[in-house]
Amino acid sequence: MSGDRGQAVVGTATLLGTEAIGVEVQVDVSNGLPAFAIVGLGDAAVLEARERVRSALRASGFTFPNARIVVNLAPGPLRKHGTGFDLPIALAILRATGQLNGELPDDYRAVGELALDGSVRSVAGMLAHALGARRDEVGLIVPLEAAPTVGAVSDLRFRPLESLGAITGARTPASFTSPRHIRAAGPDLADVCGQDTARRALEIAAVGGHNLLLTGPPGSGKTMLARRLGPIMPPLTPNERLDTAVVHSIAGVEESAVLSGERPFRAPHHSASIAGLVGGGSPLSPGEISLAHNGILFLDELPEFGHATLQTLRQPMEDGEVTLVRAEGRVRFPARFTLVAAANPCPCGHMGDPAKKCRCTESVVTRYQSRIGGPLVDRIDLLLTVDRIDPELLVRLPQGESSKSVLRRICLARERAMAAGAYPSTSLSGTRLLSVCRMGVTVLDSLTSLGRGYGLSGRGVTRLMRVARTIAYLEGSDRVTDDHLHEAIIFRGEELR
Amino acid sequence: MSKTPSGGWVLEADDPEYPLELNDLNDPPQRLYGFGDPALLGGGLGVIGARKATPYGLACAHRFSAWAAARGIPVVSGAAIGCDLQSHVGALSVDGPTVAVLGCGADVDYPSRASETLQRIRADGAVVSEASWGDAPHRWAFPRRNRIIAALSRVLLVVEASLPSGTFSTADHALALGRDVCAVPGSILAPESRGPNRLIRQGATPITDVSELAQELGVCSQSAEEELGGSKDRLLAALTANPMRPDDVARCLDLDIVTAIRSITRLEASGLLKRYPDGRFGLSMRAAGIQSHDTTTT
Repeated sequence: MSGDRGQAVVGTATLLGTEAIGVEVQVDVSNGLPAFAIVGLGDAAVLEARERVRSALRASGFTFPNARIVVNLAPGPLRKHGTGFDLPIALAILRATGQLNGELPDDYRAVGELALDGSVRSVAGMLAHALGARRDEVGLIVPLEAAPTVGAVSDLRFRPLESLGAITGARTPASFTSPRHIRAAGPDLADVCGQDTARRALEIAAVGGHNLLLTGPPGSGKTMLARRLGPIMPPLTPNERLDTAVVHSIAGVEESAVLSGERPFRAPHHSASIAGLVGGGSPLSPGEISLAHNGILFLDELPEFGHATLQTLRQPMEDGEVTLVRAEGRVRFPARFTLVAAANPCPCGHMGDPAKKCRCTESVVTRYQSRIGGPLVDRIDLLLTVDRIDPELLVRLPQGESSKSVLRRICLARERAMAAGAYPSTSLSGTRLLSVCRMGVTVLDSLTSLGRGYGLSGRGVTRLMRVARTIAYLEGSDRVTDDHLHEAIIFRGEELR
Repeated sequence: MSKTPSGGWVLEADDPEYPLELNDLNDPPQRLYGFGDPALLGGGLGVIGARKATPYGLACAHRFSAWAAARGIPVVSGAAIGCDLQSHVGALSVDGPTVAVLGCGADVDYPSRASETLQRIRADGAVVSEASWGDAPHRWAFPRRNRIIAALSRVLLVVEASLPSGTFSTADHALALGRDVCAVPGSILAPESRGPNRLIRQGATPITDVSELAQELGVCSQSAEEELGGSKDRLLAALTANPMRPDDVARCLDLDIVTAIRSITRLEASGLLKRYPDGRFGLSMRAAGIQSHDTTTT
């Protein structure tokens, strides 16, 4: 038998949710009618690898064997998708035909797409592959362009590869650390002029992770405010960065901003489908709520979202993750986000607007606002109205406090909350909430009379206490006082319910 | 035409009980359908205002109506949500006479939220309409019923109305009939007070307390009547002048926002302030010196 016949195995992986599951690429090059078959439940993209591999091998100066080639992707029952199999298939053929001499260590996986000229291209989910390789204690051969992303994973052996031909070249030491990202100067709170109540609400939300609903006429700065919540939240911890970046990586969304510590800000349009919002499709890919993991999900024009669409958000908001059950299996995506919702006060948008007269009748307004109400609003602690600011004030008022100086205060408060085990505040309820609030007898009396006076429901009282607790941390107080309760009550939304 | 409901009556134009005041109109109603006491028709105090009213407007409507009704002067209004309804409620709160002029059939409860009040007026006051029994409310009927309100009033008091407003058609009718038109002035910044403020500029008599209203109505006012007291509280005083958002309050009084919020909600919790649907805070009806009734608010 000639030297270009034989068998070889190269490791790779396929993605199921955020997890990279190890896959073996087994190649058998044998005598017989020339053929090239790929078996093992690959999707159309996997099968197309044949043409890319053939051309890439030739273009890189290797010989493509004129023989019968069978590629098996094991384990067989697992569905495999994507173009990341190109590189391992090509490497396995090279190894089976004796064209590689130990350049490829056994305990390395390879993931990458091939171009016809032999260059190696990145695929979605490289970060998930990197985490999977670290978990399984194997090395990883990655496309060069994915090196900065993969470099964010510590304790991982990896080798960047620019083109297929470079595999025989000198090994560049895998000292690719992620380049130091300078945290981009996001939108600054200093741009927000006036709107003091809204600024305060943002601070409270940033400390306690409370969800927020902004109601106000068009042009009152709802979107502007929402965009400024992320930058005043404490920066992502290294673990949070990876958790979020993996989701972005799988969805093929640029993950470098997240890796540099910026919190994601996702603002799906109100025409978004359920699958687009919570995840779905084939292969199962994460939705907007998962892309907003550890960041902000901004739903502008909340009443325009479909009722069913909004209802699907309830369970993920409760659990901090979403479980999708489909034919290909159960997949869990993380989804712990801060919801910022915005709504017009009425269908025409001008209720309470000093500049324009509202044309909506009271019953129309009631109906419109009731669309916002219900179970979703039950999960929103801070409800507030914003108003268009007088242009004259815009010029006259001093610039607001900058995000940087606000952030310092928030980090301190967040540390206090975490030390007391009171973060995220949405996790607090019942006796646990009562005990962290540490209210005196007179404060408890005051809480009772507020609850009665405003006709708060049990949920309403819980929300009031949560917000008051966060305000107390913001002021450095370990007890909730009467003042904190009275500040928190302005963010109630009983009128909406 | 449907049958007269029990308790209802119909006054033809030549009926002795038919109110003479209606003949001042160019086109007096041919027939008047109604409930209650026909003797209450004519010579009343018309109290009207917009549907979208603030607690200020509602409190004024209530206050002046209660005062007049307590002196036996029938309070005439249109039973619409907002100021109108509050006028009737004010009159009923002192068991005084009141007349509701409807744009639909006199036996129809419209608006439905007013049905309880309407039922009381049918029993203790008078509900009239020129529409026949059972007629549904029509948009065109309301401006026409306004002329009846004007005709049945000797003085017409406008408490709150933005611009433009149907309230003006009533005022125009009243002027054409030679009735006195009065208005309750409000903040120049409040859109809801633009209507009365403009009427005052055009010559309507401003009414700032009950003794002035007494003068207009030609009744003797027992002096030392409780007066609207000015507030010692700086914050309350600021919000009396004009309802504001916490941001504006902080700016006007030079407070930091946290103090402003806490002071506002303390006053709100004690019932002196009320949050408007658009997020502004203003005096509650109670703060304006009125016992709160279980009735409509904005």
